[in-house]
Amino acid sequence: MVPPESWAGYHRGMYELFEHTADLGLRVRAADLNTLFAEAAACLFAAVVEDVGSVEPRVAVTVELTGTDREFLLFDWLRDLLLKCDEDRMVFSRFAVEVRADGLTGTAWGEPFDAARHQLAHEVKAITYHELKVVREGDEWLAEVIVDI
Amino acid sequence: MAKPEFAGTLEKIGCNCWRIPKSYKPGMRVDGHIFASDKLMETIRKDQAPDQVANVATLPGIQKASLAMPDIHWGYGFCIGGVCATDPEEGGVISPGGVGYDINCGVRLLKTNLFLDDVKKHIRELVKALFHTIPSGAGRAGRYKFNTTDTRRLMGEGPRFVIDRGLGVAKDLDHTESGGRIPDGDPHEVSDHAVKRGTEQCGTLGSGNHFLEVQVVDAILDADVAKVFGLELNQVCVMIHSGSRGLGYQVCDDALSVFRNCPEKYKFELPDRQLACAPVGSPEGRKYIAAMRAAANYGFCNRQLLMHQAREVFAEVFGRSWQDLGMELLYDVAHNIAKLEEHDVDGIKKKVWVHRKGATRAFPAGHPDVPEQFRSVGQPVIIPGDMGRASWVLVGSAGSMEKTFGSTCHGAGRAMSRTAAKLDGAGRKIEKELEARGVIAMATSRSGLAEEQPKAYKNVDDVVDTVHDADLSRKVARMRPIGVIKG
Repeated sequence: MVPPESWAGYHRGMYELFEHTADLGLRVRAADLNTLFAEAAACLFAAVVEDVGSVEPRVAVTVELTGTDREFLLFDWLRDLLLKCDEDRMVFSRFAVEVRADGLTGTAWGEPFDAARHQLAHEVKAITYHELKVVREGDEWLAEVIVDI
Repeated sequence: MAKPEFAGTLEKIGCNCWRIPKSYKPGMRVDGHIFASDKLMETIRKDQAPDQVANVATLPGIQKASLAMPDIHWGYGFCIGGVCATDPEEGGVISPGGVGYDINCGVRLLKTNLFLDDVKKHIRELVKALFHTIPSGAGRAGRYKFNTTDTRRLMGEGPRFVIDRGLGVAKDLDHTESGGRIPDGDPHEVSDHAVKRGTEQCGTLGSGNHFLEVQVVDAILDADVAKVFGLELNQVCVMIHSGSRGLGYQVCDDALSVFRNCPEKYKFELPDRQLACAPVGSPEGRKYIAAMRAAANYGFCNRQLLMHQAREVFAEVFGRSWQDLGMELLYDVAHNIAKLEEHDVDGIKKKVWVHRKGATRAFPAGHPDVPEQFRSVGQPVIIPGDMGRASWVLVGSAGSMEKTFGSTCHGAGRAMSRTAAKLDGAGRKIEKELEARGVIAMATSRSGLAEEQPKAYKNVDDVVDTVHDADLSRKVARMRPIGVIKG
């Protein structure tokens, strides 16, 4: 499996960071759930790394999750990536996700953190359940996640 | 995402105290009480933090009232600045959200026998040395590495473990809340993931609002108490703000996953998933409590190692041992924690679980948990402000036992969101602005300084005035920063 061409949802206006007094909110819109989950991960790492473009997609990491609650699935997907970032000192820049009715398979491409090339912007302590949202709005999906800084 | 103004009733019921009646929202078991001056309340009611105070009032077993300190702001689940006590005998719950991700985030204040004039000419060199020695910012590993066995031992023993290895002195323990070790923690209830995150991070500052500051005492408000605390005008101190790092975050995260199913299992309803909780005596509750206590002990160790590194840097820069420089710990307080404490509830002494999420213990004179040296005046309370204006040392007051389960505020509280502060700081040189105010600041993250700029916070003096007037704690000394290192 090769990484998707572009991580750059930001330039297509698919995700944004929104205001929350002490923390940061991630807001993502996409036409389908697979893209929504991939862009949510891209949005998370846009908060973690100062310039996501500096992260080469050299290593692929796969996450398998089971569950039927879409909000919990999104939470678990982002949480697993954050754990790999902190525990294994990895940073990621490209993502592909297949969301099913009973779970998901997600792949993240990135590389080990290298202080010479990567500048970290925020230490995201955790993904929170607070106002966690995955909803259908008209013909698109909307996800909102607040992360603890 | 602008939140609508709080539309519920806020009724003033005493000096700096406002009530949200339990009729405000279905499911509230007790009233909400917010401690705030009229001026602070104008800001507080502008978002949904008061609604979060009401949500906490729905927790099973909550006693007296859901409380909030004047530095309250919108959090996730619980507001920041929230205090709630639950009684296990009445089905009371323990809530990881009521402690926060950064278990035992807290502050310690280290004194010196140096004065402003001694330090002024060395301040740039001192800040540079502190910044290069003390690991700060996201992604930095610490100088001290522990294998997983030792990380677990460290959680069991608290700072005693590192002091036995020459990284501090026994007296440091006497001046740490709970003696630096909360009993009955069980490091084996801490997951392997959490332990792994903790092996390289003990003795690191982290990022966000964590900092190490060189400060100078610029006002003494209570000379008698200041004398007992060993504080005098123009004295130089070091304030350290950090918590239990990735290990603590992971303990909270692990518990929240397990607690997802508790409302259904134990048959209660919660207005927000982030309020996830479990009965204190349930298997889920007991496991979290054991892990949370162990993580709290890690937090005390982290601040101990940060302090040790600061002592070494001062010794190097001033060419004298830290003992010669009088670098004694005044006190270390936790402001994200849940503790089993005895309190008077409607005339009956009860053991309750006091959750302090962005609130500081403030026990008054005579309380047996106040170290003997301070017992005649009360527990030192350390309140960090912002990096341009001031921080405070307060002393616990009798009113805290009557009104807030022995608690007071924990800081200035944010006035601007991180995104707004970053936007506001774009194109400005925050370091230069701080330097013009007499503060030398160094940070690893470009965004960090802008997000943490003084303007992003409420004025800590307003917060402290409020708790002083409400008799939750009293003002002792005001400190202004002269050197800052941040993640």
